[in-house]
Amino acid sequence: MANIIVSLIILGIVVAAVSKIVIEKRRGAKCIGCPYSKSEGNCSCND
Amino acid sequence: MRAALAGNPNSGKTTLFNAITGRVERVGNWPGVTIEKKEGRIKKSINKINEDIIVVDLPGAYSMSPFTTEENITREFVKNENPDVIINIVDATNLSRSLFFTSQLLELDIPVVIALNKSDLAKKKETVIDIEKLSEKLGCQVVETVSTRSKNNGLDNLITAIVNAKGRKQAAPFDGTGVDMTDKSAVEAMDRKRYEFVKGIVEEVEERKVSSNRQTRQDMADRILAHKWLGIPFFALVMWAVFSISQVHIGPLLADIFVGWIDGFYAWAEVLLDGVSPVLKAILLDGIIGGVGAVVGFLPLIMVLFFLLALLEDCGYMARVAVVMDRFFKRIGLSGKSIIPMIIGTGCAIPGVMAARTIKNERQRRTTVMLTPFMPCGAKLPVIALFTGVFFDEAPWAGTTMYFMAICIIVVSALVISRITGEANSRSFFIMELPEYRVPSIKRAVISMFSQARAFIIKAGTIILLSNMAVQLMQTFNWKFQLDAEGTEGTSILAAIASPFAVLLIPLGFGAWQLAAASITGFIAKENVVGTLAVVYGITNFIDLEEFVLVSGSASVAGIMGLTSVAALSYLMFNLFTPPCFAAIGAMNSEMENKKWLWGAIAFQFGMGYTVSFLTYQIGTLLTTGAPGNGFLPGLAAVAAMIACTAYLVKKGNQKAAEKLALSA
Repeated sequence: MANIIVSLIILGIVVAAVSKIVIEKRRGAKCIGCPYSKSEGNCSCND
Repeated sequence: MRAALAGNPNSGKTTLFNAITGRVERVGNWPGVTIEKKEGRIKKSINKINEDIIVVDLPGAYSMSPFTTEENITREFVKNENPDVIINIVDATNLSRSLFFTSQLLELDIPVVIALNKSDLAKKKETVIDIEKLSEKLGCQVVETVSTRSKNNGLDNLITAIVNAKGRKQAAPFDGTGVDMTDKSAVEAMDRKRYEFVKGIVEEVEERKVSSNRQTRQDMADRILAHKWLGIPFFALVMWAVFSISQVHIGPLLADIFVGWIDGFYAWAEVLLDGVSPVLKAILLDGIIGGVGAVVGFLPLIMVLFFLLALLEDCGYMARVAVVMDRFFKRIGLSGKSIIPMIIGTGCAIPGVMAARTIKNERQRRTTVMLTPFMPCGAKLPVIALFTGVFFDEAPWAGTTMYFMAICIIVVSALVISRITGEANSRSFFIMELPEYRVPSIKRAVISMFSQARAFIIKAGTIILLSNMAVQLMQTFNWKFQLDAEGTEGTSILAAIASPFAVLLIPLGFGAWQLAAASITGFIAKENVVGTLAVVYGITNFIDLEEFVLVSGSASVAGIMGLTSVAALSYLMFNLFTPPCFAAIGAMNSEMENKKWLWGAIAFQFGMGYTVSFLTYQIGTLLTTGAPGNGFLPGLAAVAAMIACTAYLVKKGNQKAAEKLALSA
């Protein structure tokens, strides 16, 4: 049982990390987490 | 409703944009920080009308003539996208220069509202501007603003003025239309007339108490800080102080507390996972918590460093560094503007690489793109901090040296590239308006610090977390997907992948597969070097050096990683000066727009990193032990081959340069 819970936790962490990367990439961010990638449209890691 | 923010560089457009939209776009106390347009909605708290007002922050421009890429963006937007209103940011401390562009904007038949920004600085200089008269002369509303202030900043009045201006007819007080832009003398004659017009207005509306030829305290400071020789040691001193505070004093103090929390969490999770499968336990504890925790442990050091760098930028000092470095840059075939991408690159190589697009000359731009990643970026700081702490007794000189080493590598590389491309005789000129010194804003520095911290945490929670998990899995299993028994990690998937690379790294002093694996994962994100080292050596706390003793049972840190101090320095340089992460390589690709240049750049960066690392290790070992290090001869052969190849390309380039010179003569 403990193994299943830990497996689910790990899976949850992985899904959350991958989702965040996909969301950032869809927003056009060239670098994940870039503080300047919030512009509408393209990533503006430009300054 | 759509309003465009336009004005001269460093007039405070982005600061005003951030203030009215609540965004945190990067600002800097030097011209040319913004190179692309950005959009945002005016905050509800200051927008009293029901309609949404979208504001577009445009790059700075001195005129409507498309001299630079960013001026072109501004010109094209204002001319083709028909904003409802133009908010022209005018620097109150430099009215005569700002109004040249204003007079051109007024000709576009789009209502203009002037935000007379930095009016606090103008008052401090005892410069009085008659707002009403200026408004009357220009035929548009003028509002005093201080965008750096949170209260009494005039922004409410500005928004009201924008709303009132929509749909209004705009008359031009000076008509410069109808000039043939292809006729240089006609354009120059019109510009002279425009200057006369502006001069006339300024004489009527402005009263200056401070004579422009009096030497101010700012001028006196520049005599030292921007001096061609004194400026360099002063810069070294400043960087040393920054590293000393961030990496030795305040940074580690905060890091100790922070790492204590991470350790506590690790211990709590360890107890909780008692009885769980060792594989799952290893993935969660060592891969996720340990690997990510080891990287995140450096967060306080990075936050302090970025806070200090933001203060330096904001007070106007970094612009002086650009001037000091310019004299070297123009001699080595780079543009003086190249320093700006490199300074921005100390935060992250990607925006640094993208900032190179302000350079007009294609070869200089590509060379700048190629060399910017040599500057140690924020992601490389944990690597520097780790090696400085572990091998160099937290000496601030180690971190400072990396920056100066980067500058030396950039200078040498630029010289070589200018010769390879046959442009050894070309010279460039760089004119940069020095911003005034000012007391740096703590608020802006804090915003910058937290923006960087947020980016760091997101990266640690996504890319680094997944990489560390993958590393942990690859270290746990062998190719038959059987668990590796303790002590047989050498047969793991990770060891099998990294070992061939490790052989190539023997002449550099670090032929262990663990170190090779860390360098490889560093190409995904440079912080991964620290994360991977934590996973492969089973160390979760790099800040507390006592943990090394516990892990290895040896008092020597070198014993754990199998590195001497010289080899550690070599490893640090290899990770700093070989190509950047894949994301930055992607940015290089889009900015270079040429595959030959891109692959040439990657090969050059590999060659440079390998050579510097080889020389560091071999010379260092020779000096400390009296004999060269391991793999000296094969390494020498590899470096000699790279140098011979470069020499051949330089020879070809020199021939090209000689032909060019003969043709021009």
